[in-house]
Amino acid sequence: MEHKIEEIKEGIKFHTINTNKFKTNLFAIFLTTKLNRENVTKNALISMLLRRGSKTMKTQEEISKKMEELYGAGFDCGLDKTGNNQVLKFYIEAINDKYLPEHGENILKIVLESLLDIVFNPYTEDNGFKKEYVEQEKNSVKKRIEGKKDNKARYALERCIEEMYKNQPYGIYKFGYEEDLNKINEKDLYKYYNELINTCKIDLFLSGNILEEEVKEIISENENIKKLKEREPFFELQKFPEENHQKEEQTITETMDVIQGKLVIGLNVNIENEEEKYTTLMYNSILGGSANSKLFQNVREKAHLAYVASSSYYRFKSIIFISSGIEVSNYEKALELIKQQVEEMKAGKFTDEDIENSKKGIISAIKTIDDEQDTGITYYFGQELSKSNVSEEEYIKKIENITKENIVDIANKVQINTIYFLRD
Amino acid sequence: MQVIENLKVKEKLYIEKLHNNLTVMIVPKPGMKKKYMIWGTNYGSNDNKFVIPGEQEITEVPNGVAHFLEHKLFEQKDGTNSLDTLTALGVNANAYTTNDHTAYLFECTDNFYEAMDELMDYVQNPYFTDENVEKEKGIISQEIRMYDDYPEWRVYLNALEAMYHENPIKIDITGTIETINKIDKEILYKCYNTFYHPSNMAIVISGDFEPEKLLEEVKKRLIEKSPCGEIKRIYPDEPEDIVKPEITQKLEVSNPIYAIGIKDTKNEIDKRKMVKKQLGMEILLNLIFGRSSKLYQELYKDGIIYGEPSLDYEFGKDYAHVLITGMSTTPREMYKIFKESIRKLKNSGINKDDFERLKKMIYGNYVREYNDVQDIARMFLADYFKGIYSFDYLEEIEGINVEYLNQLLEEVFKEDKMVLSIVEN
Repeated sequence: MEHKIEEIKEGIKFHTINTNKFKTNLFAIFLTTKLNRENVTKNALISMLLRRGSKTMKTQEEISKKMEELYGAGFDCGLDKTGNNQVLKFYIEAINDKYLPEHGENILKIVLESLLDIVFNPYTEDNGFKKEYVEQEKNSVKKRIEGKKDNKARYALERCIEEMYKNQPYGIYKFGYEEDLNKINEKDLYKYYNELINTCKIDLFLSGNILEEEVKEIISENENIKKLKEREPFFELQKFPEENHQKEEQTITETMDVIQGKLVIGLNVNIENEEEKYTTLMYNSILGGSANSKLFQNVREKAHLAYVASSSYYRFKSIIFISSGIEVSNYEKALELIKQQVEEMKAGKFTDEDIENSKKGIISAIKTIDDEQDTGITYYFGQELSKSNVSEEEYIKKIENITKENIVDIANKVQINTIYFLRD
Repeated sequence: MQVIENLKVKEKLYIEKLHNNLTVMIVPKPGMKKKYMIWGTNYGSNDNKFVIPGEQEITEVPNGVAHFLEHKLFEQKDGTNSLDTLTALGVNANAYTTNDHTAYLFECTDNFYEAMDELMDYVQNPYFTDENVEKEKGIISQEIRMYDDYPEWRVYLNALEAMYHENPIKIDITGTIETINKIDKEILYKCYNTFYHPSNMAIVISGDFEPEKLLEEVKKRLIEKSPCGEIKRIYPDEPEDIVKPEITQKLEVSNPIYAIGIKDTKNEIDKRKMVKKQLGMEILLNLIFGRSSKLYQELYKDGIIYGEPSLDYEFGKDYAHVLITGMSTTPREMYKIFKESIRKLKNSGINKDDFERLKKMIYGNYVREYNDVQDIARMFLADYFKGIYSFDYLEEIEGINVEYLNQLLEEVFKEDKMVLSIVEN
């Protein structure tokens, strides 16, 4: 597998991952822009709206039929919050020509051109988006916003983030705000779209069994690419240490019609540089990242308080979230037990075996990066956003070199920020 | 080993039935670092009533035993837990239970044979005590209550409830807090001894391997078990009609969630026909309600639905049904329009262009399954317990034509076999 980056224009990069491991080619376009309250809802709306039609494929029906015709090319859009940035993601996954029942078709070229067309050449009427599409997609975004509470565990996590980052970019809900939707019309939105396209960071990813020269030519000759301007991309690099506005530990309890209580604890990891992220990854693995972790062993296996007791590390924001689903009446007990694990980490109460086991697990995950097409793309995109360039071998080496002292050092930079409990 | 090659996806399946009747399947993936091993038993939440080989009387056990066993099999006599041991090897280990099978698995890059030692050891050596069984009840209770908070899971189970009178497919895989409290170590041993016999099990491994060598490694780790007779499974007779046309549940959700169920009483017994029907139903469902369908486009435009519905045809030994699940502001109105569009389609017949296009799409979907060792191994295992080789899907699709789809449309989409399940505020 080979990863190459070509800067097409300033702020616009084309990444190719040449691999023969897959039956498919995966093409992705990521638009990255700073997350802020003013634009978040518009970005969410745009990510939904672009699916509706382009100048060459005017309706969603036309796009869908084309994808189906390409042996069910999977066309998908996503919206991510990555650190203080919002990322609009567009994908087409199509089977490689080698696995088609009839030969001679060049699916890849159609795929590349179709996605570029959808993202950079949207359907417009009278110098604006089509009013009907905008109104319908406003409704869809509204449903997404309302739907926040449908998955209770997810909702508890979102609420914890909001409380941790009140009035800060990271506290913004990625699908935006209902009250802002009403202020948007098709003309202004189109104006904003052009601004976004002219200022955002643009990354194109193509993973698959490809002829590099051929695809590079398709991209460089593409009219939609040609019309894009150079830009100093409007996105934010992570700061070290992260600013924590919420200094004191806070506890928030809310009620909803839930059967099981959902406990989420947000931890700040006050690291000072990119390097310390590797140790934080290890710290998280020992705390709650696997079946051998302290949380799984103590909260689930020994105390039988939960089925889910885990932690996850959000590396673009230097935070860790602990999650657990418990009986409401067990709240105090579970909280105390969880806090005890965080304290024990600080005191170095974990074994060399824990460290070795975690290393094995993390290294194994690193080795599979190029065995999964989307994971590969996510990995290289992560490097883009942190302006780092670490090969898998170097990554593994960094993990191997971590010592117990390093982990205890990180443990002492960890601070409970917000305890959030959703109960009936 | 017997080799079955598929020229469309350019993959090979190596398969062997060992002397103890255990089936081993290997799908080599040269160049992949990831390796995946899964060991399954043809025993799931549906198998609650059976006759133990050699006995005369019927044994009936509480709901949720198969899933409970899945949790408990990791316990080792020396007090260790195999999930911990496997995790310590740096492998990703797990297990799951469905209505017709239970499976134990791991995925790794390194330490494959060490992990195989552990997996094959714990699956073959159960160790249940009153104490370790009791402790698991607390954990499983929280798993059950977690699912109770998922509206998507509730709407699905309720749809089954509305379709089936007796068939155990409608039972929640985990059982309920009440039924799991009746489970003890004797019940677990009894079910283990009945269903975890090599003749009722299959192993699938995918990754960069030499199949013959790998097979020897599997054989080395097998414990001799005396042959056993056939397990007689007793499933209740299921009437053809549905239980009730509509079922609703109140939960705190932003907008209603719906599931349309269609009970299919014409279950195919012949395996090839089953595969053909599954493929035909996937094409047909997409034709009716997929992204490019008129129905989807119109309901979306009118704001009646948002998001895409998931379209499934599920079948097993003695059940088959359609399930269409999604979100709608007005599910009852959506249902009416859905039924109308079926009537119209029956009158007009299926458009040939739509058919050809969606047939291509379904073909592509099956090809994509071969990207990942996990998808491959799980698919071959699940299909095997249904009596199917997964490659069959890629072969059978060619023979499907419009006439067959029109026939399925008439046979399956009957209004008196449809139910509507809603979860709303």
